Amino acid sequence: MTEFAIETSDLRKTYSDGNEALRGLTLQVPTGSIFGFLGKNGAGKTTTIKVLLGMTHPTSGDVRVLGLPAAQQSASVSIRRRTGFVSEEKDLYDSMTVEEITRFTAGFFPRWRADLEVRYLRAFDLPVARRVKKLSRGMRTKLALLLALCRGADLLVLDEPMSGLDPAVNEEVLQALVRHVADEGATVFFSSHQLADIDQIADHVAVVDRGRTVVAGPLDDIRASYRRLQIVFDRDAPAATLRSPGVIRTKREGRVLTVFASGGAEAIAAEARALNAASVDVMPLTLKEIFLETVNASAEVEN
Amino acid sequence: MVWYKSWLDTRWRFLIGFVILAVLACGIVVSYNVSASLLPELSKRPVDTSTTAGRLLGEVIRLEQTYRGFVWVQWFRQNLLQTGTLFAVLLGSGSILSSGKSGLFTLSLPASRGEWMTARAATGLGEFFVLATVPSLAIPALSPMIGQHYSIVDLVAHGVCFFIAAAVFYSLAFLLSTIFNDTWRPLAIATGIACVVGLAEGLLGLKGVFHVMSGYDYFASGSFPWAGLLSSAVLSAALLGGAALNVARKDF
Repeated sequence: MTEFAIETSDLRKTYSDGNEALRGLTLQVPTGSIFGFLGKNGAGKTTTIKVLLGMTHPTSGDVRVLGLPAAQQSASVSIRRRTGFVSEEKDLYDSMTVEEITRFTAGFFPRWRADLEVRYLRAFDLPVARRVKKLSRGMRTKLALLLALCRGADLLVLDEPMSGLDPAVNEEVLQALVRHVADEGATVFFSSHQLADIDQIADHVAVVDRGRTVVAGPLDDIRASYRRLQIVFDRDAPAATLRSPGVIRTKREGRVLTVFASGGAEAIAAEARALNAASVDVMPLTLKEIFLETVNASAEVEN
Repeated sequence: MVWYKSWLDTRWRFLIGFVILAVLACGIVVSYNVSASLLPELSKRPVDTSTTAGRLLGEVIRLEQTYRGFVWVQWFRQNLLQTGTLFAVLLGSGSILSSGKSGLFTLSLPASRGEWMTARAATGLGEFFVLATVPSLAIPALSPMIGQHYSIVDLVAHGVCFFIAAAVFYSLAFLLSTIFNDTWRPLAIATGIACVVGLAEGLLGLKGVFHVMSGYDYFASGSFPWAGLLSSAVLSAALLGGAALNVARKDF
């Protein structure tokens, strides 16, 4: 088993209309992790997933999934044989019944888990004789998840799986996913812009913006290193730039200087005190704040 | 499963085509006596062969003097040619791999694009071969009921000519379906091209793909239009190859 279920290096994709969807994306998804892949709409999440599964050809760069080169057609088939996938649209075959699409999908996967199929059909309360087009959005998501989970896959790739779900179904699906990973030990690559979901289940995250990775690592390490420093002066905050490493963004409002840092909070606080700050408060950041600040900082650098 | 999916995608078009062509083939036999009773009257009328319409009418009257000629004019040159071509285009339209609805689910399954395309192309061609040959069997089967006989050898020969030449339009629709994501544009464009080619051949007296489809050479002289059949097969292969290349390079 490889150390990383997914590895990309300087991955680039420019579509024929000139749209640069990926601009040097580098990712390492540890085997066995639940990896949250965060980004705004249009950040490159879906393109990344399509490249991983051989649906879109990369323009350049390396991409390996389960140790295989995803850009090669034959390897891509092997990757898909070991991967469960749920797309944002849950675009299943409308004319088939739940039973028919389950049998159809099972036919492609030698390691299909009939025991899990029975379990999830019951747990999700899916009506086997109903046509897919007659299913509610929540039911459709559960069916798509069942079809992904029962493949006996080493890797689950989920592209915005919770979009459009009500909170009750959202929670049910998340719990099923966590339980499945705990029991079966697959790697989960989970793209979303719903930070609460990622916060709840992921142990590793990457934030992608404009086709590049702006933050990546174990979620606990990221939470531990990212800090907001609120520095208050007796006079207007000085215009001087803080030079300590780790500063990703500063905001000046009257006497208050707010600094967002990816690490080195103590050194930044010391530098602020040297500027005669009246007070320096160091506060942890939520995942949402980390996401927003890194994406905004990336946009400022870009502009 | 890849083949099963191809069958699911095309079965209704195939079955509807089969029923329509079978009914039309039966109608050919049933209508022969009526047509034959009108021929003596029509033969007496003067026909202006200087116009295209007059030339065509004169040809029909001449050819329909025999049952074999009647079947060729009404079935192989008209009903099968027109309706069969329409179903060739219908069967070729609509890619199994599209970026539209359910395309990503299909692409997430462990089968290569080549496998999907091969299965879809072969299934459609197989179904079209059945449409080109099997409904026509109603003609030799029912002919004894009206005191006539039609050779199965003739039927197979015409069916093969029709299948090979009309496969060009199947392949054209197949190629167009890898360019457009919907079913309707490939269908409309391929049908439009078939109509233009058919009209041009009919009005200008050209010997093109419809001439080969009708099997006129076999009807008139018993020889196969080898050059036309070979050209059609090569053109179809090129169109299908283009479709495969298009899908292999495509980003979904």
